Amino acid sequence: MLSLQTAVLLGLSICTAFAQAPGGLARDPKSAEAGLALYRRHCSSCHGNQAEGGRAPNLTSGSLNDAQRFRTISDGIPNTEMAPYGSRFSSDDIWRIVIFLSSAARSESAVTGDATRGAALFWGKGGCGNCHAVGNRGSHVGPDLSGIGRQRNVVYLRESLVEPGADIARGFDGVTVLLRDGATVRGLERALDDFSVVLQDFSGKVYSFDRKDVRSVALDQQSLMPGYSKTLSPAELDDVLAFLDSLRNPRAPEVRRR
Amino acid sequence: MKRIMLTLLGVSFSASIAGAADANWTTYGGNYAGWRYSELTQIDTTNVAGLAPKWIFQMRVPGKTESSPIVSDGMMYVTAASNNAFAIDLRTGYAVWSYSKTPPKPLDLCCGEVNRGFAILGNRLFKVNIEDTLVALDIATGKTLWEKELGDYRKGYSGTLAPLIVKGNVLVGTAGAEFGTRGFVDAYSAATGERLWRFYTVPEAGAPGSETWGPDATLRVGGSTWMTGTYDPALNLVYWGTGNPGPDMNGDVRPGDNLYTCSMVALDADTGKPKWHFQFTPHDTHDWDAVADPVLVDLTIGGRKVKAVIQANRNGYFYALDRTNGKFLLARPYTEINWAKGIGPDGRPIVVPNLDPSNEGTRVCPGMGGGHNWQPTAYSPLTGLYYFGSTDGCQTFYRHDREFVEGEWYQLSGARDPQGERSKGSFLAIDPASGDIKWRFEMVRRPSGGAMATAGGLVFLGDASGNLIAFDARSGKVLWRFQTGAPIESPPVSYTFEGKQYIALASGTAVLAFALP
Repeated sequence: MLSLQTAVLLGLSICTAFAQAPGGLARDPKSAEAGLALYRRHCSSCHGNQAEGGRAPNLTSGSLNDAQRFRTISDGIPNTEMAPYGSRFSSDDIWRIVIFLSSAARSESAVTGDATRGAALFWGKGGCGNCHAVGNRGSHVGPDLSGIGRQRNVVYLRESLVEPGADIARGFDGVTVLLRDGATVRGLERALDDFSVVLQDFSGKVYSFDRKDVRSVALDQQSLMPGYSKTLSPAELDDVLAFLDSLRNPRAPEVRRR
Repeated sequence: MKRIMLTLLGVSFSASIAGAADANWTTYGGNYAGWRYSELTQIDTTNVAGLAPKWIFQMRVPGKTESSPIVSDGMMYVTAASNNAFAIDLRTGYAVWSYSKTPPKPLDLCCGEVNRGFAILGNRLFKVNIEDTLVALDIATGKTLWEKELGDYRKGYSGTLAPLIVKGNVLVGTAGAEFGTRGFVDAYSAATGERLWRFYTVPEAGAPGSETWGPDATLRVGGSTWMTGTYDPALNLVYWGTGNPGPDMNGDVRPGDNLYTCSMVALDADTGKPKWHFQFTPHDTHDWDAVADPVLVDLTIGGRKVKAVIQANRNGYFYALDRTNGKFLLARPYTEINWAKGIGPDGRPIVVPNLDPSNEGTRVCPGMGGGHNWQPTAYSPLTGLYYFGSTDGCQTFYRHDREFVEGEWYQLSGARDPQGERSKGSFLAIDPASGDIKWRFEMVRRPSGGAMATAGGLVFLGDASGNLIAFDARSGKVLWRFQTGAPIESPPVSYTFEGKQYIALASGTAVLAFALP
């Protein structure tokens, strides 16, 4: 039987063994690149192409250290979709992913704007609340942003403000139906197959059609959200970003990727 | 007149012995040739618009249902995900017995705990379990008679296919090539479960074909056999498709063609000895398994009659081979292809250089799933056409490097949709003697279910949105559809019960049976 002291020492030495990447890997400039390749295949479908977050959390702005990252990948998170990868990857490969995530977190641009001014722009000049909700305020035409600072990083959010069509969240595709009389109906796609289409306009009204009864049905190539590169000044964009980054309600609904 | 007499006959039979005069569906592919074609004609192009559900059986088993039902003597036998199965009464849609076995954990699987169906022989049913065993069940009770290990699940082997009965023996293959397993086709005694022969799809060191791999024999992996083969009784040959070499995306450790991966093999049904092989994609690096249905048809090509085996290969080409000797007959693309300039006269692809997966990503068409993947296809002797679904689009392929460790994930990267691109789907009718596309039904999503043709001039297909669709087999015109309420991942079958024709399939985790009013 191990004495308590030995057990604690043993525990400590195990922790030390897994607390950081082996020196060779840490010094190898190719580790992060190899980690990115592994990451892209096994992690990106949930956590985003650059770990910016998707249906699963943003991995570049959390508070985990490298040892905690290693343990999470290895053991998974019980009762979530985060599976344990310890039996699937060698520990060197897990460290390569950790090294990539660390470097991605460091390279994320710092938030320079003012969140209070950003909030005023969000609810005022930007008109963001006409479509987006934060907490109990705003509208639900677009994704609920109550936890978006936790779910996406600043690089991703800046892109979303400037070029909203770069990545449209799941369930927020726009669809345009051209009727036989020449009128159009535009809204968010709720269902689309080769025979029917269901859409919901911004007032919440639901429309459904048999496709044989309409002239055409087209998924919009562009997001329904306008780009803000002209509406807001660079300083104002930074302020809105600071506000979005501050939205971290842990119980907020996930904004899902397709 | 004839029709009236047949009807009377049907009634009198059903009154005496229920189901005795009825048409069953007793093999995975509908017949040995894998046609997935029903001779039944009650439901046809003129009345299919009236088709309606008669019963729905809720299996309540989570996971994808990829199973093709077996129908015999008033009962339907259907497997579900995670080692579950049911025997369903055809009149009422109620289950008579169920089978369930908890799989061991952890399992290493590429694609879920799926199963594609039973095989039937006399008073026994046969299925594989996900931990790569073959099990024989008593048809009256669902009780296990014997269970044999095919491969070691702790080393990445798994079982998903429907077995094939040939001359009283049970033939199966294995899944697991993403984990560095070595594929095989096996035959077992139906009575005892004793293994009668095994054909390895990847040769041992020194055996013919081993020269098409690198020097390290431990790195010769892949060639899984995760779909059901077909059988030609006259030639006594079994036809089986084989999957990708391992690792999928990184070919550096396996220089050469990597026989017999991404190939069709013809095996002697009595001994398992190979008669011939044909490799569709030598040295594959895009996960283009050649496991799609090997369908046996007799064609007239250039005025010459030929016994052919046809396949809609995952690499984007439709192929016809001479099934007596494996000689290449023809290949035609059925979807967008950028990896080959064409297929040479010997059947070897003329590969476009530098389209291997890379660290930064390489855009290749078709994507990792193909083209046509595993979903069951249909051949109609009535129209002479071959029907299958296709995913139409491209993907970006990635690779990385890693040592091989037995039983561990050994794909070495994979593929994603390129930014801003979305694959579409289509359902095609091809003339197998020329490869000409006779009609194409374009779809917003890939067709996830399988096909079945009937002598009523129809072809059925289930889609990813949940629609079961009936097409005019000649023209491709949609004549009927029904929203089943869940994505369809399985093929329809057809049978009669008390003289009345039914169309049945699994959708989501339910089984539905349709008939005319």
